Amino acid sequence: MLHVTWKGLLAHKIRLATTAIAVLIGVAFMAGTLVLTATIGSTFDGLYKDINAGTDVVVRQAQSVSGGQGFGETRAAVDASVLPTVQAVAGVRVAQGNVSGYAQYVDKNGKAIGNPNRGAPTLGFAWSDDPSLNPLRLASGSAPTGPTDVVMDKATADKYGFAVGEQVTVLTQTGANQYTVSGIARFGNVDSPLGATLAVFDTSTAQQVLGLPGKYSDIAAAAEPGISQEELAQRVQAALPDGLEAVTGKALTSEQQSQTRKVVSSFSTFLLVFAVVALFVGCFLIYNTFSIIVAQRSREMALLRAIGASRRQVLSSVLIEALLTGLFASVVGVVVGMGVAVGLRSLLSAFGFGIPATGLTIEPNAIVVPILVGVLITLASAFFPARKASKVPPVAAMRSVQTDDSGRSVARMVVGALILALGVLQLFIGLFAKPDNALAVVGGGAVFTFLGVAVLGPVIARPVARVIGWPIARLRAMPGVLARDNAMRNPKRTASTAAALMIGVGLVAFILIFWASATDSIRGVVDKGFVGDFVVQSNAGLQGGLPPEVATQLKALPQVGTVAETRVTVAEVAGSGTALFGVDPAAYGSIADLQVRQGSLDGLSQPGTIAVYDQTAKDKGWAIGDTVPVTFPATGPQELKVVALFHDQNIAGSYVIGLPTYEANTQVQFDYAVYVKLAPGVSAADGRAAIETVTDAYPNAQVQDKVEFADSIVGQVTSLLLFVIVLLLLAVVIALIGIANTLALSIFERTREIGLLRAVGMTRSQVRSAVRWESVIIALLGTALGLVIGLFFGWALIRALADQGFDSFSIPFVWLVVVVVVAFLSGVGAAIFPARRASNLNVLDAISSE
Amino acid sequence: MTAATTAPPTIAARAVDASKIYGKGDTEVRALDGVTVDFPAHAFTAIMGPSGSGKSTLMQCVAGLDTLTSGQVFIGDADLSSLSEKQLTLLRRDKIGFVFQAFNLVPTLTAEENITLPMDLAGRKPDAAWLNQIVTTVGLGDRLHHRPSELSGGQQQRVAVARALASRPEIIFGDEPTGNLDSRAGAEILTFLRDAVKQMGQTVVMVTHDPVAAAYSDHVLFLADGKIVDRMDEPTADRVLDRIKQFGH
Repeated sequence: MLHVTWKGLLAHKIRLATTAIAVLIGVAFMAGTLVLTATIGSTFDGLYKDINAGTDVVVRQAQSVSGGQGFGETRAAVDASVLPTVQAVAGVRVAQGNVSGYAQYVDKNGKAIGNPNRGAPTLGFAWSDDPSLNPLRLASGSAPTGPTDVVMDKATADKYGFAVGEQVTVLTQTGANQYTVSGIARFGNVDSPLGATLAVFDTSTAQQVLGLPGKYSDIAAAAEPGISQEELAQRVQAALPDGLEAVTGKALTSEQQSQTRKVVSSFSTFLLVFAVVALFVGCFLIYNTFSIIVAQRSREMALLRAIGASRRQVLSSVLIEALLTGLFASVVGVVVGMGVAVGLRSLLSAFGFGIPATGLTIEPNAIVVPILVGVLITLASAFFPARKASKVPPVAAMRSVQTDDSGRSVARMVVGALILALGVLQLFIGLFAKPDNALAVVGGGAVFTFLGVAVLGPVIARPVARVIGWPIARLRAMPGVLARDNAMRNPKRTASTAAALMIGVGLVAFILIFWASATDSIRGVVDKGFVGDFVVQSNAGLQGGLPPEVATQLKALPQVGTVAETRVTVAEVAGSGTALFGVDPAAYGSIADLQVRQGSLDGLSQPGTIAVYDQTAKDKGWAIGDTVPVTFPATGPQELKVVALFHDQNIAGSYVIGLPTYEANTQVQFDYAVYVKLAPGVSAADGRAAIETVTDAYPNAQVQDKVEFADSIVGQVTSLLLFVIVLLLLAVVIALIGIANTLALSIFERTREIGLLRAVGMTRSQVRSAVRWESVIIALLGTALGLVIGLFFGWALIRALADQGFDSFSIPFVWLVVVVVVAFLSGVGAAIFPARRASNLNVLDAISSE
Repeated sequence: MTAATTAPPTIAARAVDASKIYGKGDTEVRALDGVTVDFPAHAFTAIMGPSGSGKSTLMQCVAGLDTLTSGQVFIGDADLSSLSEKQLTLLRRDKIGFVFQAFNLVPTLTAEENITLPMDLAGRKPDAAWLNQIVTTVGLGDRLHHRPSELSGGQQQRVAVARALASRPEIIFGDEPTGNLDSRAGAEILTFLRDAVKQMGQTVVMVTHDPVAAAYSDHVLFLADGKIVDRMDEPTADRVLDRIKQFGH
């Protein structure tokens, strides 16, 4: 039996090639993702190891505040007076204060270098003299010695053409100032640590410009030879005042490594979703291919059964074919996956999400898991056709047995409806009941919805194909009639071919609808909530921004009426980490409309106060006058008094504090954004010109009016969703391969018929036309189903997010029409190869083929 | 019989020194070996011979389904070797009718759509009166909207004959048209074909191995080893059978 299977496999290798390709693509993407994320993870691991290589003990604040998703831990700085204490501890060979903070270079054209919001950070440091505590190595020049010296990382120097002795402008908390490049340094043996830019000052200058006068970010110490890190850490801890902790270099390294791994792993999950989608679509293709293969070989199967093969043997024979195909495809897929990893890296940086990674880290699970998944998927998809093969009655070897291709059984309708209902239910639960693992529940709901529609597909395939085919039959005469009839003749096959495309189109349509609704909502929020004229943005992340002097200078302009600066910090509010915004209590109200319902923002001018989103206040049972526990990195746990309740939490989140509270509880003051309302009577053009006289000196400042402001937010959302759509196109490509595959196999089945048509006078181009339009009908069928599902998903998600500011449900009709046109063209494209094969059939051979 | 009432005898199709050779050297097979023959118009010609005699090859080449290695074939005045693939296809569509042994019909089309297939391919509207006459002749009036899977073998062949007649071709080729039918259904088909010749002035060339079928024709060509070895006019089943026996199997 194995011999028969092997022979069968070889004979049908071309047919199985498309199955193999579908599995290969999904597996390659999965393997590529796993390799890429492992590489990123190990690159960061290596980075932290290198940074902390010579550091045996680190002294820092014991109190840390977690900022929630992806923001890591933030701590306050250490008082400089602790340094001598540490240096005095027996066993400490050398100890130095580290200073780190925000510092951004300006290139020779006046543009700020780097985009810390979206890319690698722009960092400022203090230079350490001891090489074991300083991972930087001078490549040229010398260490910084005075308040105007800076050492630049070699990558920046090379890329932007700076040499030792030249002047460079650096943006820091103290403004945009000129420094002399005293030296150029490499980080270990690379030109820059993963793309971050480094501006290194001498220690006292660093403290000044990085906003930590009289303090250190932390203190690093190296041990005398013979003393272990743990031992030294204990000794240092004993000498420290309360509130500080001493951790070993090893502990620090693994802490940093695991923080990064968390972020990397959620990114990995994000990408893996697309691999799963591609594999899910591949399932349909595999199912289809094996169904057709089984149908075409039913006579052969019947013969085997007639001469004594058991049902199980026939079943295993097909499954082994599937197994071997899946295995081969998965192994090749893993190899291709390495190339995918490299490609993904480039794709991400093309979309502005530059990911640092050197070389490729290939862990065993990046090989084993995709192979297992690929094989299992192939087996699972081939199972039902295999079972059907085993059910062929032996008598079919001698006479043809009628097979029901209509797919209109009651069982199918019931099962399909049940699965669909289950999927929709799961979707609603996941979206509206908001359980803990909401994402998994919603994902499961989506899968079952697609499956349910796929099972019900044959029931609606025939009538829908008739409708879609009607204009084609009218416009394309005989070939059109044949195309429509062929699309309708086997609803099961048509439906399952179209279903693969339905998934890709459905998800793309869903993303488009979500994008249109989200961008509409964003513009709505900005329109309603932002009542000023201009925003000065800094493109900073949680670190850095505009020095406060920018806002001061703006206030002095006669064209400017009100200036409201906003700052941001990480804090734990009522137990959960969040980004907390600090606003100018007097001016903010004229710039942003938070829809204050109770109390007043004026109350924020008192330190120790907070304003809360009214829904959150209701949930937590807070009223005006109650206190909210907030833990700041610098000052630890505080109790802030509620002085106002507001209704719009889309502008600044659920909690807002005033600048007095902010300044009292944070160390480094940067403006995240400065909002400006012009004086009455000043035109927008004049206003902008005036503002720019101030902001031109700060290259990281970007002046935007209301529309540009909304555009920049929308732009970020668009970038992300565009990236998602590009990844979804993978699934679409597989689906199109599936259409071409089904067509090619169907043409093989219809060889005699095509021969007859050619004999009776159908020209080659008419044959191609018939095949092409059949493909178009199938593609449009899948698209129609996909659009309906995508609309449903989009509506459901927007409804679920209604309380988070997504109040518009908007359908981007133009884009959806583009989707239909692309589907139409893809149908034409998928048919090119099968159509050519059909038209090139030798007439004589065709009509006498068996 | 005056000259005024009989149409002058014309040739519907012609082969001139037609040869079809497969392979080379030792493995050379001469399916057709320099065959020269005329197929008169308005007549029913049968082509017979043992398997391997070249009868099917001759028909296929004359019908434009296959190409000769050497020699010429004419349908009317058109030299098939001078036609492009597309022109050959159009010739088959407009000037030739086919009735194969089996698989004559497109399964997704109704009987009526199968009958008008060549004309639909050409984008021409069939003449309703003519269509009616043919359908009545072959007796398919009540089956027009059925699909081939809903018709018996005999009915399917009748649809094929109707299709062959509907486009009023210059010549109709049949390849063992009754091969899969029982004797009653077969006799029906052969009668239709003969009536088409006698009453509608059609030209029919039929390949067959069945002496009974051959008896319906006006004359029979006997082929062996790629050459015409004999002819017979006004055949009867017995005479044909006798002649076949002489091939000696």
